[in-house]
Amino acid sequence: MIAYIARRILQMIPVFIGVTIILFILRSPGVIGGDPIRMITGERAISETLYNQLVEKYGLNKPFYVQYVRYLNDLVHGDLGTSYQKNRPVTSILWSKFPNTLKLALAAILIEIVFGILAGVISAVKRYSFWDVLVTLSTSVLVSLPVFWLGMLLQLIFGLKFKQWGLPYLPISGMGGDQFPQIVHLIMPAITLASVSTAYAARIMRSQLLEVMGQDYMRTAAAKGLSNAKVIWNHGMKNAMIPVVTYFGLDLGAMMGGTVLTETVFNWPGIGREIFLAIGQRDWPIVLGATIIIVFIVMALNLLVDISYAFLDPRIRYGRQAT
Amino acid sequence: MDKDLPSEKATESPITGAVVPPSLASPDAERDQLGEEFELVTGPARSLRADAMRRLRRNKLALAGLVWIVLVILVAVTADLWAPRWLGDPVEIDSTTAAQRMLLPPSWEHPFGTDKLGRDIASRVVYGARVSLIVGVVAVAIMVLIGLIMGGIAAYYGGIWDAIIMRLADVFFAFPYILFAITLIAVLGRRGIENVFFAIGFLGWPSIARVFRSSVLSVKENEYVDAARAMGASTPRILIRHIMPNAVAPIIVYATMSIGGAILTEAALSFLGMGVQPPDPSWGNMLSDARAFMQSAPHMMIFPGLAILTTVLAFVLLGDGLRDALDVKLKE
Amino acid sequence: MAPLLEVDDLHMHFFTRDGVVKAVDGVTFTLEAGRTLGVVGESGSGKSVTALSIMRLVPEPPGKVVKGDIRFKGESILGLSDKDQRRLRGNRIAMIFQDPMTSLNPVYRIGQQIAEPLRLHKGMTRKEAWAAAVELLKRVGIPQAEERARSYPHEFSGGMRQRAMIAMALACGPDILIADEPTTALDVTIQAQILELMQEIQQNTQSAIILITHDLGVVADMADHILVMYAGKAVEYGVADDVFYDPLHPYTWGLLESIPRHDVEEKGALTPIKGQPPSLITLPPGCAFSPRCAYARPECRRKTPELVEVERGHYSACLFAQDTDFIAQFENRVVRVGAEPRRRG
Repeated sequence: MIAYIARRILQMIPVFIGVTIILFILRSPGVIGGDPIRMITGERAISETLYNQLVEKYGLNKPFYVQYVRYLNDLVHGDLGTSYQKNRPVTSILWSKFPNTLKLALAAILIEIVFGILAGVISAVKRYSFWDVLVTLSTSVLVSLPVFWLGMLLQLIFGLKFKQWGLPYLPISGMGGDQFPQIVHLIMPAITLASVSTAYAARIMRSQLLEVMGQDYMRTAAAKGLSNAKVIWNHGMKNAMIPVVTYFGLDLGAMMGGTVLTETVFNWPGIGREIFLAIGQRDWPIVLGATIIIVFIVMALNLLVDISYAFLDPRIRYGRQAT
Repeated sequence: MDKDLPSEKATESPITGAVVPPSLASPDAERDQLGEEFELVTGPARSLRADAMRRLRRNKLALAGLVWIVLVILVAVTADLWAPRWLGDPVEIDSTTAAQRMLLPPSWEHPFGTDKLGRDIASRVVYGARVSLIVGVVAVAIMVLIGLIMGGIAAYYGGIWDAIIMRLADVFFAFPYILFAITLIAVLGRRGIENVFFAIGFLGWPSIARVFRSSVLSVKENEYVDAARAMGASTPRILIRHIMPNAVAPIIVYATMSIGGAILTEAALSFLGMGVQPPDPSWGNMLSDARAFMQSAPHMMIFPGLAILTTVLAFVLLGDGLRDALDVKLKE
Repeated sequence: MAPLLEVDDLHMHFFTRDGVVKAVDGVTFTLEAGRTLGVVGESGSGKSVTALSIMRLVPEPPGKVVKGDIRFKGESILGLSDKDQRRLRGNRIAMIFQDPMTSLNPVYRIGQQIAEPLRLHKGMTRKEAWAAAVELLKRVGIPQAEERARSYPHEFSGGMRQRAMIAMALACGPDILIADEPTTALDVTIQAQILELMQEIQQNTQSAIILITHDLGVVADMADHILVMYAGKAVEYGVADDVFYDPLHPYTWGLLESIPRHDVEEKGALTPIKGQPPSLITLPPGCAFSPRCAYARPECRRKTPELVEVERGHYSACLFAQDTDFIAQFENRVVRVGAEPRRRG
């Protein structure tokens, strides 16, 4: 198993390097609009000597690989550059917003796991029943739904219309504290963020369980006298869950991307919304900085998922041992 | 489950491994078995495609999707002929009447209502369909082109090329799609539709490459097994007729679903302001406009959203149907 | 006293979208304690479905017992409730399957899987069941049983896996052990070992064994009785020696001709049976075997034969089984070493 983990980490390294190279290219002056020198000095005209001094100071005239190393160094020290508009380090801007995104993502993941597994299992076990058809159709619909439109619909119905009709309603923006506690504010954004992922999770759970149900060892378990429920739960689920769990891990990346849209619609003060606002202001360092954070989180999670696979599947854990 | 279950049981042709359904495996001992099998060897590619078509036709949801897509295409292509006259211009503002025509709810004259500048929403939805379809098709075309090349190189040459290309794909996979698209468009400079389909296409190639590579690799293996079995009887042309359908089928399915995905991505990018710029209509930027008027004019957000939903759903259902129709052929 | 197991004119059909599949279309036999029944036939002959029907593991839609009965110790098991059926399964009637690699759950340890029926049926605690599982592994001849019990299925070789399956089936000391092609997926040398193991266990426990195979050679030594099946029907049934040396059905002749045998001097070459088994949805008219039968006559296509007792305890479903000249066609081909050709009186 150590060999497996080592191999996985080794495979990650070139990917990691590739990612940082791409990010470096994106960040280089001239690539995305804006002259970094201008950024520091503002619109004031500066003397050529001062310009050259600044170029020296930030190493902008050095060859690419030197700048790259410097860039990596910055990253390691948590320096993501400075915002064009706000003139503050990107890191500090994002740092305060990060926990909010985390809360939202965790809530969404919880919803995804619970409802995804539930719907998938039920529709696999009761194949061709009304429930199965319902799940299959609704997952198809959810997957085709623009996430931000779903958010808007929820806002319209449960926020505005319910209020209009005198029904108990949900807050449609912000993180709360005023009229409703934070957790109530979390409901709609979390559901929105989770929606597409839950649909995929249900589909995968269903197809995995169906595949497992056709396996010989399920028949052996039944031949031992186990009840149908026990056969599915004890023997089936443990096998079916392996790919599902890895899906949850991998999906995290897509979910992080989805936070941009969800947070924008619900005015949730997280990293995603910062990205949106930065786009409007053409404040590219923020966009890039947030992207970097998210990418690294995704990569770390993918590695964790890969490693956890070894724990879940004994065939990988113990490898092929001839007897 | 039970290997004896004859309803699924069909006999395998020892020459090609092609599956012969029980009805054709005649117990008539006098018939030349070899000759019978040979007929089926040259037949499969054609009859399997017909088989897939038949199965697709049976799938009502997939057909409904196909019909809807054709409808949308027709509407979008012919838009110039009727939309401005019957519905109203999607972009031009008639400043004299604009004030009275703002934010009107759906009516006979304006089936989807009007927006904040008095423009007819139905007309804008129709022209938005053009955007979505173009983006969908062009982006996926780019994606498939790059993906086939990369995947083909990786599968055919193997070795270090395979490693490089697959690592590159991993790098692309590390970025969440929307963020990558946003930054790429920012890099390209101008926001607008051209950059959108390039960004979507350029970022989508790894998935296609992976799918293509794995099906080529698996079919490559089958080919050698078949060649060994063939005792020199099968010509390479027959083998190609077996390889290509197998390798191409998952691509077709994936491409169809990807068109739906591309439409969603375009909508998201336009919503965020990175895609189609106002005043040109895109379903995404129409939704962005609608946000401010959720309370007073909810109709603004309903129709573009429904347009996205139905169109993407149509592609998803069609893709599902294609997958089921072609899958039975793939699964021996 | 009632025999241990009675299968009485069993008809198990599958109602599918493409038609009714008559998987088992008339099978009758009995089984006594300590005896072995060999069930022989090609793929699709219905032998596995018969076994699954006894275990009540056939999914009831689309399957259905349209006729006949199965009785265990005198009591019909077709009418039992789910709960009662489960009490028999793995407990009094146990089954092992063809491919031990796919039949064992890859994510559980071998010891756990053997212990499972013990905990379920005998109410043992985890510790007790585990200890018993280790003992069972020893009994089936697995060395270093304590360590091996902690292994996962993929760490075992094919032969060891099948031994583990046998241990799992024997755990609760069943009255009947059904083995569905237990050696087909194994090497020839291992095959012999597994069969030997099964014989040894039978001697010690007096369990009855139903040994299902397509290979007559496998049942040659072990079986007390042989049931030959074709296209879902029983075509010959009798004491093993009778079926081997005095076969009364052309299909059995075909099977015997297509395997190499040490005990008889072959006059002809090995000849496989030409053709393919029929579709079980559209069976040919008359005798299901007649299209492939080298000795078929016109009546064979018109009349459907029944399983009939030709001699004491020896049944055949050939229309001409009682016709000595007809039977002599086959007898002429084979000369048993050291004995005169059997004459029928």
